[in-house]
Amino acid sequence: MSLGDSTVFVVDDDPSVRRALCSLFRSVGLRCELFESAKEFLKHKRPEVSSCIVLNVRLPGLSGLELQRQLADAGGEIPIVFITGHGDIPMSVHAMKAGAVDFLTKPFRDQQLLDAIQAAIARDATRREQRARTSALHQRYASLTLRERQVLGLVADGLPNKQVADRLGTSEITVKIHRGHLMRKMEAESLADLVRMADRIRVRHT
Amino acid sequence: MWQPDLSQTLWRGFVVYLSAVLAVATAAGATFAFGPALTHTPTLFFCAVVFSSWIGGVWPGILASVLSALALDYCFIAPIFALGIRLEEAPDMIVFVLSALFISGLSGAQQRAEALLRQARNELETKVAQRTTELVRTNGQLWTEIAERKRAEESLIRAQAEIARVMRVMAMGELAASIAHELNQPLAGVVLNANVALRWLAVQPPNLAEAREALECAIQDGTRASEVLQRVRGFLTKGERVKECVNLHELLREIIALTQGELSRNKVMLRTEFTDDLPEVVADRIQLQQIMLNLVMNAIEAMSTVPPGCRLLCIRTAQPGPGTVQVIVRDSGVGLTPEQQARIFDSFYTTKSSGIGMGLRISCLIANAHGGELSATANKGCGATFQLTLPNKHGQRM
Repeated sequence: MSLGDSTVFVVDDDPSVRRALCSLFRSVGLRCELFESAKEFLKHKRPEVSSCIVLNVRLPGLSGLELQRQLADAGGEIPIVFITGHGDIPMSVHAMKAGAVDFLTKPFRDQQLLDAIQAAIARDATRREQRARTSALHQRYASLTLRERQVLGLVADGLPNKQVADRLGTSEITVKIHRGHLMRKMEAESLADLVRMADRIRVRHT
Repeated sequence: MWQPDLSQTLWRGFVVYLSAVLAVATAAGATFAFGPALTHTPTLFFCAVVFSSWIGGVWPGILASVLSALALDYCFIAPIFALGIRLEEAPDMIVFVLSALFISGLSGAQQRAEALLRQARNELETKVAQRTTELVRTNGQLWTEIAERKRAEESLIRAQAEIARVMRVMAMGELAASIAHELNQPLAGVVLNANVALRWLAVQPPNLAEAREALECAIQDGTRASEVLQRVRGFLTKGERVKECVNLHELLREIIALTQGELSRNKVMLRTEFTDDLPEVVADRIQLQQIMLNLVMNAIEAMSTVPPGCRLLCIRTAQPGPGTVQVIVRDSGVGLTPEQQARIFDSFYTTKSSGIGMGLRISCLIANAHGGELSATANKGCGATFQLTLPNKHGQRM
């Protein structure tokens, strides 16, 4: 996987740690941005590239765990790798349950952190890809006519053409024509493909 | 008192009476020899009487008088060489005898007086010697007592210093988690930076500038770790401490650095208001740090039950008078009841579940030993204010 355009956001109150982490990430070709506090990070406009956060659990003001919760509430699913001076077990359990990629206790090996970062960025990349695919589906769905959407919903529910025609009060031929159109518009290669797409964008008749 | 023994007294008596007899005999012989040259015959006998009574007192004097009268009568008054006396010679003889007796009486009285005086003097000397001995003894006891008292005071001071050190160790114990974190942080930095340097050296071609920068950061972190240790070690130093010129602001900054972890762990906001040109104080640096650490840790503890947003610690310095300086530590904690305020500096008085009630007592003793004082007041709103007043180096009374 290329890390070329990936970015790591480092949120730590210790300037020495920030600098060291930044140097480490640069050495493997990762871009990084540094933040002194959770508040500063929240104010920052993040670029639309695969990224992750290296976050210190204990921060002055808003703590790392609180930042994680706020990001989750705001729907930002950016993966987080926690680092901490002395991690206790409840804290790490809490962080992992809330979706952290890893929880590293200082001092950690650089490779340990890089592995975690790699995993986090891969997770973010996958998520972004999926989201991109979903939004493409939504766009395609938006291009369907009302009748085509109705047909899609019923087909996705597993009804044969005849029953779809009955439900919509039209002929089987018409349903077949609509289905052909919507298969083309949704770029579905088979019925199974179409059902999976409908599933992803949660299109169901019922 | 000195008592002459009997043989000595007898010998002395014999000598004086013998001298009286010899003196009269000599006077008689001399008068006999120089008779015509003497205008008045009894003169030499008077001399003998005076000599005898001077030597021996009243009774030898009387003996000399009687012998002189007899010798005078026998040798020089007609009928010569016979003990008779003519009627017309009688008054002269009586006058002589009376005068001689009077002289011996006088001499005797004088001698008695002298003897008494001598005795009194002897007694006085004995008394003085006795009193001097007593005084020397009392003095010795006094010195012993003083030495003992000094020893006791020294051991008290040692004991207090030891308690103070134990309190410091306890305070450090309370801070242990924070200090471990404080130490771990730079150590993690050292490890990380060293790893990073290795990475920059491993790339082809090696990036020496980046590697150097990372190593410099590692050195900085190492120095930071050793500073933390130095602070802790300095605080736990055992043994004699000396007073030196102390910059209170520097000292407070050290304490803040030491408690930074604890403050942030407890979500306490810290505000410092340091006055300009605060004069130095002459003090035991470690002991003053102990007071300040104690006050800060107490404040953190006092604020543990109030909501995190309201935990404010304010450390202020001031110059209330020309010769004094003040450090004011104000918290927004649970505050003090009047009863607590009255007893807060007592030994073994504590409101904490884990305290032994010696921290503020020791702080108070340290402040007093520096010619200053420590006071506590409840704030009008919430929390308490502790005020350490010390003479500055110009106002030092010591």
